[in-house]
Amino acid sequence: MPDQDVTGYKCRSCSTVAYPQHALCPTCGHDGFDPVSITGEGSVLTYTDLYALTLAYTQRYLRLAIVQLDSGLRATGHLLDPDPQLGKRIRTQIGVVREVDGRKIYGLQFVPV
Amino acid sequence: MRPVAILGVGMTKFGRSDLTLAGLMSEASVAALRDAKLGNRSVDAVVVANMGAARVNRQTAIASALVDRLNLFPAAAETVENGPASGASAVKVGVQAIAAGMADVVLVTGVERMRAVNNLEATDFVASLSHPEAEYVYGVTLPSLAGMFARLYMSRYGLTRRHLALVSIKNHNNAMRNPYAHIHQAITMEGILDAPEARVNNPPIAEPLHLYDCCPVSDGAASLVLASLDVAQQLNRPAVTIAGIGQATDTHAVQERSDPTELSAVRLAADQAFERAGLGPKEIDVAELHDAFTILEIAESEAAGFFPRGEGHLALEQGVTSLGGTLPINPSGGLKGRGHPVGATGVAQMVELTWQLRGEAGTRQVPDARNGFACNFGGFGNNVVATVLRSERRENA
Amino acid sequence: MASSDALEALLRPPAMDMPPYPPKAITLASGETMVVRQVARDEIPTLLKAISPLLQVERDFYDIVSARLYGELLAYKRYRVRDEYCLAGLIDGELAGIVNGRLVDAKVGMSYHTLTLRRGLRVGSHLFAAKMEYHIDILGQEEVLIVAESPIGFRRWMIEYPLDKKHEIQHELGGVPSWVLTVETYQKAKPRLCAGSRPVPAELLEAARIIRAPEEQKLTERVTGQDEAADHNNQGGAG
Repeated sequence: MPDQDVTGYKCRSCSTVAYPQHALCPTCGHDGFDPVSITGEGSVLTYTDLYALTLAYTQRYLRLAIVQLDSGLRATGHLLDPDPQLGKRIRTQIGVVREVDGRKIYGLQFVPV
Repeated sequence: MRPVAILGVGMTKFGRSDLTLAGLMSEASVAALRDAKLGNRSVDAVVVANMGAARVNRQTAIASALVDRLNLFPAAAETVENGPASGASAVKVGVQAIAAGMADVVLVTGVERMRAVNNLEATDFVASLSHPEAEYVYGVTLPSLAGMFARLYMSRYGLTRRHLALVSIKNHNNAMRNPYAHIHQAITMEGILDAPEARVNNPPIAEPLHLYDCCPVSDGAASLVLASLDVAQQLNRPAVTIAGIGQATDTHAVQERSDPTELSAVRLAADQAFERAGLGPKEIDVAELHDAFTILEIAESEAAGFFPRGEGHLALEQGVTSLGGTLPINPSGGLKGRGHPVGATGVAQMVELTWQLRGEAGTRQVPDARNGFACNFGGFGNNVVATVLRSERRENA
Repeated sequence: MASSDALEALLRPPAMDMPPYPPKAITLASGETMVVRQVARDEIPTLLKAISPLLQVERDFYDIVSARLYGELLAYKRYRVRDEYCLAGLIDGELAGIVNGRLVDAKVGMSYHTLTLRRGLRVGSHLFAAKMEYHIDILGQEEVLIVAESPIGFRRWMIEYPLDKKHEIQHELGGVPSWVLTVETYQKAKPRLCAGSRPVPAELLEAARIIRAPEEQKLTERVTGQDEAADHNNQGGAG
């Protein structure tokens, strides 16, 4: 199993988790954070099938989504669902989302629950 | 703060150019300088708007290069980069210099020479404005952000692909009347949506957005010569003024927007521009909005205050925003038809509005246009500059 | 006309029986209709004249595609290529694009070129699909060997259909490693990529009966200046 993780930042002062990273806590302004994994279940907020891909990809299209996690955070990632729908329940997993010079980049994938 | 007037305007034809970056900048600048008829007055500062020269053209500090090309030394000069809103940001920098009394005459030139690289490279370059860890690494491009926005907007407010197609058809038709436009090709609803062949003519790019919902990749440059209003009056020129300019930002990653269908940076920037201009959306006669994607023209028209939220597509359907309607939007053809050399667009919007407010817009002319509005949309809506232009023509001029 | 000269017969390749391509009509984004039909040998001089100006246009590989296509069309006219065909797209009788290829044998096709004269309307996409339709649906072939001269052609055909690698075979266009379109892939891609209606109404067919070359100045300007919306370059080169 890949050990890469997608990290959110939990404020040491007010415990709010921010993702992606901000230098100061968006809620209370504090500047100390503990990393936390972005995982869990949620639902599809919106998605698209992207055909005009950048040089990094040779597949015909990429299914991208923004999901609303039950934790309150939102995340962007690859939607691995042949039948996508707005509001459909998903859970997160980590997988290869891009390759740069042969190096695999891991990130968030969403699969139907 | 001193009022700022637009003395001269100029632009190159947008599209595919054999000129170098410097050649494009110079052509537009010289056209604007000639239009301004400065006589003995010198240009105090040059501001260049550009997004990609460092990467796509391997050139930096291009404002200094433009000063040299035009022999304007020792004028002050800098390059402004604000993604797709670079153009209006550069105008804002020029306006600030004049308003503060630090310059009397400023040349603002926006330029992009995108076609120096192939389209895959150009797509990747524009995608670099997205959030590096939360978006870019997933293969997110600007069209994908627009596609996700469009899907949500359409499901919430009931607009359909037909409405998006109406924007495209309108802007293509308008561009036919614009000799500077990139695209001179009329299109029909049958050809892009209704006929079975439409699936080949108009393939998906980032669903629900298709080819004809997305602006082209263009080369081009556009320029304004700005001056304090009293310089304009000394030169006895009927002036178009920049009555108000506003700017606002929003979260970088689209997922962090509090309401992902709201273009709050458009709303705040527009509110600020209107407040500074001392007028409101109802007094605008003509608008140039940032239709990099057809959905954005509709969404911006609402966020800027021209139509209630979720009703912009109804106004479009009724012909309100067509040439001949009560609020023509993108008479130039917009980004869709005129083209989108990224750094030049914000300036080109104001070139068009100036022609409109002077009565020099030819067959695109909006009758009796007095007040104009431009929206230059940076990032995916996380940095927006809005501008109100006003004609200072006397009633019987 | 076929020569009864024995030497000429020796110099000609053998010829397979090729059912003709049934013409079709395609509605373009502009609302105009393009008729796609087969080109006869006696029409080749018009095509050669039409593409001559493009031999000097370096942009988007027009020069190499035109030059190679010119030779192929001339060879077709003079009976020096085996089982070659040529299809043309015509808008109001004016040449909008040309595609060609040949049959290696009953089962295998060799796609040659796609040349677009009227840009910005996906003419190249429509014509490339029409020739794949010819190879597979009309001529009953099982696979077509394809290469691309331009990077955008690569994306348009190799990635879009998608094509499979058959790199052990050198393509006739310069020995470049071949890609292949199989029947299976074609049938899956057809609903997405192949369009048009038959039969072509009589008045449209009549308007397409005599091929007209575009005016030279306008052609060169259009080919070098006019671009398609968004991205894809319509002129895909070999394929």
